Amino acid sequence: MALSLPRVAASEVADRNTGMDEAAFRQLYQCTARPLRAYLLRSCGNLALADDLLQESFLRMLRSGFEGEDEEHRRRYLYRIGTNLLRDHFRRAKPETDRLPERDEGRAHDEVMHLRSDVGKAMDEIGPRDRQMLWLAYVEGASHDEIARIMKLRSASVRSMLFRARRRFAEVLRSRGLRPGVEES
Amino acid sequence: MTDKACPYEESVTKAARSGKWSSELEEHRNGCLGCAELTLVVAAFTTDAEMLEALDAPLPDPSAIWLRARLATRERDFQRATRAIVWVQRAAVAVALAVGMAFTPGLWKVAKSAMTGLNLASPLADLPRAAGSPLLVVVISMIVLGGLAFLEFTSLSEG
Repeated sequence: MALSLPRVAASEVADRNTGMDEAAFRQLYQCTARPLRAYLLRSCGNLALADDLLQESFLRMLRSGFEGEDEEHRRRYLYRIGTNLLRDHFRRAKPETDRLPERDEGRAHDEVMHLRSDVGKAMDEIGPRDRQMLWLAYVEGASHDEIARIMKLRSASVRSMLFRARRRFAEVLRSRGLRPGVEES
Repeated sequence: MTDKACPYEESVTKAARSGKWSSELEEHRNGCLGCAELTLVVAAFTTDAEMLEALDAPLPDPSAIWLRARLATRERDFQRATRAIVWVQRAAVAVALAVGMAFTPGLWKVAKSAMTGLNLASPLADLPRAAGSPLLVVVISMIVLGGLAFLEFTSLSEG
């Protein structure tokens, strides 16, 4: 199977330093909710849970009174809350260990059609932390420092952790016969 | 392949995300195992993200989230505003209890003599002197007010 290299259409939103009134919230929601839900859904594998975590993320941000410097700052803050909520969810699911589980076994991973895609199945074979880290780096374009802040990791560790996660995932993809498509420049 | 970062890594990541490859970068990618691997992973993730973002499932209603946040904010403001009142109520309860306990023995005597000397058929002027004692009035008032404050406080705590 060949993977096409998609062109990411970055939705640029005018920076605003105003407080979070309803209009600003709706704009942030419109720009951020779908990508954030995709991230949560890929991490937990359950659409209903992803929607719950999405709502809770926005709710916590509003309740905290966080305004952020710009749209990107608020977006990162939301991802941080979402990641914390995911961590809490995984801990509740497996209270006997402090370590993140490698898979969210309790949830139906095949609930959404796209989660059953070849890439989705490959992603199921790596741990949630690897998935989150790779997503933040390569979908969200977060820097190592930002990933460290979002995932509560040491900044110095992120580079090597990211490298290892990438290698593991590449091996999984290769073992499934997935390869990058030839992109015409 | 070592875990030493390729100098082209950042450029390759950007190109893989955007799909815009320069010929030089493409040539490098084809010859660099690490960058080829990076391209594969970035492609998989961005493809997956696009599919998941394009899901038909509707997003939760933002109005409900906004409303819940406003309610939570109001609740928090209310708690802040009533915090001082609650402390005054607590102090009133404590004072009432302290005064009540300090005067209980003497008060009991006064109340007992007032009750025994009370003749309901007699006019007001014939009431025992103790019934009009300012101390008795103050103490009974404080006990009643303290009780009311305590009730108010407990109902606030439950709420």
